[in-house]
Order: sequence, then structure tokens, then C-alpha cells
Amino acid sequence: MDVWKSQKIVSDQCMQGQIGPLRLWLKQAGDELRIAVERIEDTESILETKVFELIKGTEPEDLDWGRWVVGTNADIIKLIPLTPDRPLVVRPEVPLKIPTNHEALFFVSFPIWVRIVVGKSKQLNLYEVPSVVLSNIWFGDPMSGELCYSLLSRARRKINNAESPPHRVICPVRIRNSSTKQLDVERFCVHVEHLKIYDGSDKLWTNEINITFKGEIEVSQVHYAQSPPTFEPVQNVIGEARIPLKKPLLKKSLSDFKLFSGS
Amino acid sequence: MLAITGINWTNLLTKGTITAVIRIAALVVIGFPLLTFVSAITGRAVKKRFTPQASMLVRKGIFYTGSVLLLVSILYQMGFKLTALLGAAGIAGIAIGFASQTSVSNIISGLFLISEKPFTVGDIVKVGDTKGTILSIDLLSVKLRTFDNQFIRIPNESLIKNQVTNITRFPIRRLDINVGVAYKENVGKVREVLLDIASKEPLCLDEPEPLVRFLNFGDSALEFLFAVWCVKEDYLKLNTKMMQQIKERFDAENIEIPFPHQSLYTGSVTKPFPIRIVKEQHEDKTKSP
Repeated sequence: MDVWKSQKIVSDQCMQGQIGPLRLWLKQAGDELRIAVERIEDTESILETKVFELIKGTEPEDLDWGRWVVGTNADIIKLIPLTPDRPLVVRPEVPLKIPTNHEALFFVSFPIWVRIVVGKSKQLNLYEVPSVVLSNIWFGDPMSGELCYSLLSRARRKINNAESPPHRVICPVRIRNSSTKQLDVERFCVHVEHLKIYDGSDKLWTNEINITFKGEIEVSQVHYAQSPPTFEPVQNVIGEARIPLKKPLLKKSLSDFKLFSGS
Repeated sequence: MLAITGINWTNLLTKGTITAVIRIAALVVIGFPLLTFVSAITGRAVKKRFTPQASMLVRKGIFYTGSVLLLVSILYQMGFKLTALLGAAGIAGIAIGFASQTSVSNIISGLFLISEKPFTVGDIVKVGDTKGTILSIDLLSVKLRTFDNQFIRIPNESLIKNQVTNITRFPIRRLDINVGVAYKENVGKVREVLLDIASKEPLCLDEPEPLVRFLNFGDSALEFLFAVWCVKEDYLKLNTKMMQQIKERFDAENIEIPFPHQSLYTGSVTKPFPIRIVKEQHEDKTKSP
């Protein structure tokens, strides 16, 4: 998509770009770049993507503008899609059961983050912003778990049904039940910070995650594929992993316990 | 020449005396700096593996023990008899012990606090009516900084004796909000609106799930407990946001938040309250003269 390519900043002019529900405003004046974020709530407009273009008139004052001193040579801007900065707890809208020695492939769609980078040869990371602000969730024990983002997902099983709004990326998750009991998939934790983002024909993709559930007491094995997904021809990596990973992770990723609210 | 002011310096400056003076000087000049250095190095090494409190304890322990040994050595070099000195120290120790019972109690309590670790530096604790952030845990007392920037020293003994609440021990906290609505309101709708407020607030954790509990038929309101979870850093921010959102949503949904009021009856709810208009009588009285 063109929105991820480098674009020229026109000095002293207000510019506007859009990735789904995230609208970005920018204005360069001298060595300073001003950036503002606007969130679109109109359901029709949130499916659009627009490269940065000039906006006539003055910039809107009601936005919360941030200012960066970038120098006079930083006239190129580039947007980079990233995974969220914390793990995601995916909760299928309808829980699924996987019998023993069976596996299931899900296509989990989650909103990306956008990193704003300026400069030609020497690039400067300015800002990171989520396209959609996800709700927080606690995964694990209230005394020693970890803070994640909550994602209520349809966890689609077929590629054709997978959503493809411009601000979302599709992550193939394959769960294999190697335990002796049936697995109730009520929620699973995905460490998305280890995932790369690939540019597909009309969708964004991450590399595949393989989770092997070995039992409630045993630690689940999580493997992050290093190769691009094979469900659709993809071009290249447009967003590197926040935390590159080489070895398979041994983590408790599946959880079928009920967290309590107490009284 | 040496017999100045009647003192025979020749007798004083014997070989043994000079040696003792050199030893004392060496103990003072080398011993104390070396002791400070060793205690600091050991303290730093302990800090890497253990807590700052353990480091402080080891550092001070080495320094004070070393200081006492150095002092005893200096006194020995000066010709004091150690047996008499220790005897005197024993008697003095009993006297000092009686006089400093509180301090000793605080020191022992401090050791318990350090080993038990009910809180560490940086935790927010509540002791009685005092709430604040732990600045340091020392042998005699714990120092707090309150939220209005006051410095409070609490003796260790009182921390051992009284209940201490560590507010930030665990990573997540539950925010409890008491909500009252008018008796005419639909309980199900109130519950639905409150849960919707929680689901739309990103700081509010989706799990553990928010809780709405119908508590009581109050004097003026139906009383609910609205409990939501958040990470401890977001507690105050979420508290403010939730209170504001509850008020705004209740206003938008026409859910009344009542205030205490009283209804007057004349003995039967079916009969209207009798009203006597006194204005006319008053006007008649004014006209009559």
C-alpha cells in the first residue's frame, strides 16, 4: 500500500494522512515538525487509507499537537506499521473446543500501531501511535501475571472470511492440543511484539504462530515462524518485530481458568 | 632541655611509647578510612544481589562492629586494661540498656521488618491514618513521604505492633465505587450502563471482570457497588475518569442520582396533604384596620 512508502513533506503547509480510523496531521515550519492525531468515529470513513496530502486553510486548533525539532533536512516522512507494544489476549467471541491430538488454525485480526519516521539516510523515530486504543487486560495470576491488551476476536477459521480493514493485520495462529484432555480455547495470549508485518496483496500479514498445548500443568510451547505466511502472496517485511526472536518460546499461552472479580 | 615545665620528657618518650603512638596513629589514619571503604564495597556488593535495606544493614553492621574493635585496639595501645574496661562496659551496658529500651526495641523491630519484607522502598503504604510512599527503611524507623509532600517518621516498633497496608504490593488493584440511584430506576438498566462504561474505558481491565453488585435498599437510593480493576499506576486516573463518566452517562440515560430527602404524609398515603393558604388571611388582616 502506498501509505507505507516514503512521502515528501511540504514545508509550511498543513498535511493530512489516514490509516483506517487514525488520521494524522502534520506541519513543518523551519526545523520543527508538528504532529497531531485524530480518531475517526464515522464507520464508513474508517475503512479508508489516504497518503499525506495538502490541506487548504489553517490547521485545526482543537487537536492535541506535539512538536519535534527534526532539523531542516528532515523533509521525508515514512509511516511504519508495528505490532502493539504489549502482548494480546485473544478472546474468541464463541469459545472453541479442540479435542486431544487435533489442531485448529485461526486468523486473528488485530489493530496495528504506526511509527512515524522522518529523514532520508539518517532516519529519526518520532512517535508511535495505536490505530485503535485497545482495552487493558490482565493475563494470569493477579499477583504475578502480565498486563496485555484485550482483543475480542471472531477468530475466523477461513482466509476468505478474514477482515481486511487497512489498519488491521492478520495473524495466523495454529493451536495444537497434545494433552490428554479436550482443550477449551476461551482465551490465548499472543506475544505480538515478536511478529513481523508483511505487505500482502490487499492485507497486512504477520508470521505464523504455532502453539502446542501439552496440559494444564505443562508449559505450552510457542513457536514463531520466521518465514512469511503462505496463505497469500506477500511482498516483503514492512514492519520489523519489536523484539526479534530466534528460539521457540516456552510460555503458558493458553488459559482456561476464570479470573475473579471478588466482592 | 627536655625538662620543660617540670615534665621529664625523656622518661615519657621511651621506645615503647613512641611505638604505641605510631600504632594508634596508624589505627586512626588507616583503620577508619579502610573500614569505611570495606563497608561501602560490601554494601554495594550486597545491593546487587539483595535489597537496599539488606545492603544498608550489612554496611552499618560492618562499620559499627569495626569501629568498636578499632576503639578497643586504640584503648589497648594507650595502656588501658581491657578486663577492667570490659567490666566497666558491662555495667555501663546494663545502665544504657535500661535507658534505651525503646531504641533497642526499634532496632529489633527493624531487623524483623527487613527480614519479613512487608514493604520495600517506593511502595505506598497505609499506617493508621497516614498514607505515603516509603522513602527508607532504617534500623530505628521507616520514613514516609505523604502525597501532600510531608515527611513522616514512624518508629519500627509501631509498625510491628500495628496493621500496615501495602497498597502497591500487587500489580493490579480494584477500584470500588459506591453508586446510588433513585428507587424508580430499573436495576437491570443501571447494571447494563455501568458495565458499558467499564467496557469502553481502556484503562479498566477486561479481566478480572468488572463487577456490579446490588448492595442495599438505602434511605434515599438503591445502593450499588461498582468494582473495576486496573494496574496500580492507573488507579487515581481511572478513579477520576470513572466518576466523571458515571455522572455523564447517568445524565444522558436519565438515571437519577438521588440526594437524601424526606416525604411527608398526613397518616395515609391515599389522602392529599392538606394545604392552607395563609396569604388571603394575611391580606385581610392588613386591610381590616
